[in-house]
Amino acid sequence: MFKKSFLSFLAVVFMVSILLAGCSSNQPSGGEEGQSNVKTKEIKKEGKDITIAVAENFISMDPHDTNDTLSYSAQKTMLEGLLGFDKEMKVIPVLAESYKASTNAKVFTFKLKHGIKFHDGTPLNAEAVKVNIDRLADPNNNLKRHSLFEMVEKTEAIDEYTVKVTLKKPFGAMINNFAHPAAMMISPKALKKYDKEVARHPVGTGPYVFKEWKPGDYLKVEKNATYWQKDLPKLDSITFKPVPENGSRVAMLQTGEADFIYPVPTEQAKAINGKKGIVVENDPSIVVRYMSMNTMKKPFSEKKVRQAMNYAVNKEAFMKVVMQGYADKMDSVIAPETQFYSAQKTYDFNIEKAKKLLKEAGYENGFTAKIWGSNTSSAQKAMEFLQQQLSQVNIKLKIEPMEAGTMSEKIWSVDDPKKANIELYYGGWSPSTGDADWGVRPLLGGKDAFPPKSYNTAYFDNGKSNELLNQALQTADPKVREEAYAKLQTLLWEEAPWVFLSVDHTMLGKREYLKGVTLLPDGSLTVTDGEIVQ
Amino acid sequence: MVQANLAHQPKDKTELARPQPVQVKARTPLSEFWRKFKKQKMALVAGSFVLALMLIALVGPYIAPYSSKEFDYESILAGPSLHHWMGTDAYGRDIFSRVLEGTRISLFVGLFSVLFGALGGTILGIIAGFYGKWIDSVIMRICDVLFAFPGILLAIGIIAILGPGLSNVIIAVSIFSVPIFARIVRSSTLSVKATLYVEATKSLGAKNSRLIWKHIFPGTVSSIIVYFTMRIGTSILTAASLSFLGLGAQPPTPEWGAMLSSGRDYLNTAPHVVFYPGMAIFVTVLAFNLLGDGLRDALDPKIKD
Repeated sequence: MFKKSFLSFLAVVFMVSILLAGCSSNQPSGGEEGQSNVKTKEIKKEGKDITIAVAENFISMDPHDTNDTLSYSAQKTMLEGLLGFDKEMKVIPVLAESYKASTNAKVFTFKLKHGIKFHDGTPLNAEAVKVNIDRLADPNNNLKRHSLFEMVEKTEAIDEYTVKVTLKKPFGAMINNFAHPAAMMISPKALKKYDKEVARHPVGTGPYVFKEWKPGDYLKVEKNATYWQKDLPKLDSITFKPVPENGSRVAMLQTGEADFIYPVPTEQAKAINGKKGIVVENDPSIVVRYMSMNTMKKPFSEKKVRQAMNYAVNKEAFMKVVMQGYADKMDSVIAPETQFYSAQKTYDFNIEKAKKLLKEAGYENGFTAKIWGSNTSSAQKAMEFLQQQLSQVNIKLKIEPMEAGTMSEKIWSVDDPKKANIELYYGGWSPSTGDADWGVRPLLGGKDAFPPKSYNTAYFDNGKSNELLNQALQTADPKVREEAYAKLQTLLWEEAPWVFLSVDHTMLGKREYLKGVTLLPDGSLTVTDGEIVQ
Repeated sequence: MVQANLAHQPKDKTELARPQPVQVKARTPLSEFWRKFKKQKMALVAGSFVLALMLIALVGPYIAPYSSKEFDYESILAGPSLHHWMGTDAYGRDIFSRVLEGTRISLFVGLFSVLFGALGGTILGIIAGFYGKWIDSVIMRICDVLFAFPGILLAIGIIAILGPGLSNVIIAVSIFSVPIFARIVRSSTLSVKATLYVEATKSLGAKNSRLIWKHIFPGTVSSIIVYFTMRIGTSILTAASLSFLGLGAQPPTPEWGAMLSSGRDYLNTAPHVVFYPGMAIFVTVLAFNLLGDGLRDALDPKIKD
């Protein structure tokens, strides 16, 4: 009798195998069609309350003290800045009516819109703006975004609706810094009342009002009935839920528990798109993926080794295997939609050339190195891919995935750059000012950007590139800046402090009835125009 | 004559009795065990499966059709086919070859973690049971402390201290196996210690070391063997769980749990990537548990046949 049951068990395994074989080979053609035919009734939404599932926990609701794009996404429902970005990352006025920059990039004047009030009734005027900029500019406040405003010398309220900001030294990218979500305005009254605790009680001018935040569980915002833009907002409330597990997030969208999710895991994007009233949208972002190499350490101090590694990695395969095709080729240190981008000649996959360069550098037999990165499944996949690629030129990688806490301790609590243990690091960067300066300086801006101060995980310190970076900041004249950044990008591409991998796509998944909610190229969410159309 | 007769008679008797021992074979413990064990068909099948697994563990990498590291970006996530019996994973690696190679890792981790755990546990258990008094209390209270943690949580804690890696998984799983063995061995030590033959040996003046080694330890072996086998299944499962959580085997090691972990993103689109490693874990753990059950029934003198 037992034999019988064992045989039938074997039979089941066998049948499942056949079934799986059938499923996977038919997938591209038959699978999808079959599904759409079975499309039953349309999915309806009741009420105007939506749920957005996101991948990580929110850290803070104080824009001045935030350095993750995700927290900004939630903050942007409640707070607004003088300037902002449109869908192409072009700077647009928000709370400001107009703005002016002096040609030497030292004095910036803003005219404010009239009649705007914070959620607590405080009027938005020059004085309120001054309080905010002063808070950011004061190093004693220890705010994470102080670095964007450290060059501010003074802020003056000229009249009720005019603000003048004067800088200590010219800073050409300042307009973009003002458009960065870090410069969003908090009610001065709330700042006084809550002080540091304002991170849990955000009061701004935005279309939604803060309701409740249970960290790790959910964050809820409600409609601002007295919003300054006419007929907005169109939703009653938005609930954000952090759901780190990719599969669960997708399931929430499929069951209707969430109306919008991001990011959609690239592995499942094709499978869920167009089914059960779900739409997946992907657009080029300004998020770059790279592997930085510690240029202070051997063998990465050798330019030829760095270039060889760039040649040894097949970027097309990276985009296909790791990103499932939802990525673009990276052809400069910054993404095409970043201001002042200029394309470079790419390092095309060429094992022979890589081997030749390694031989010239004296590493004919390769070497061993360790690569650090996050422990998310996508980062691990990328690191494993790099391991496979570099093994072709005898470079053996040891993968060390780390959770966020360990990583920040290992990378950002290094006092002496010479003692830094980091060798290779797989990471990504989203320059939320949309400007070349913020895309390069924090990552490759010489000694000032070394950890723990900033994100220069390549410990890259090149006199010429530092000079170009500074030069570009001396003026607000876009022509002059463009020229400097073009030279800079060519130089950095040649120096290759990173293995340049790809430019991400933003991946969002939503229900068909939800319109107007979208992602900016920096990966942050905008919901101002969100509405339900059935 | 009489004498001769007298001498002859017993001889005759022995001659008559001679066929007797052939019929009722003197049973060695081993043959007795085998007699009982082979009656359990389920355990027999499980046992031969385990043997097959061990064989695969030895020769697996040599008979695998592909190398576990061999990637092929042209055929990623392909379903099962003639070329790839279990399909390919996200890098186009042959899952069948990886599962084969993973057998060695899983068995190695399962076997050694339990071996170390059993070793430590047995020593502690015998000491506690034999000497009693405060030593017993101290050892058993420490075990209670360890028992208070759920196994996997304790293992995660240990990994957090030691850092991720397969060898640390072995250490972690051994540590949380120790108290279980200690408790079992202690209780059988206590019962064996109270038996008459131990009392007798003791009164004959045997040293403690001889008592423990020659008389008490053999009495505890059967319970150790049973639990040892049962425990291997659990250890394989724990090691796989730890690797699934990213605390055990690091990529590109073809460990089953790690394969599940990296494949879970494709659960909707390419289920075969997780199906086969999952099946491998399932069948292996099941086999060890069934084998353990069979061993228990065969070794337990209380169970009459």
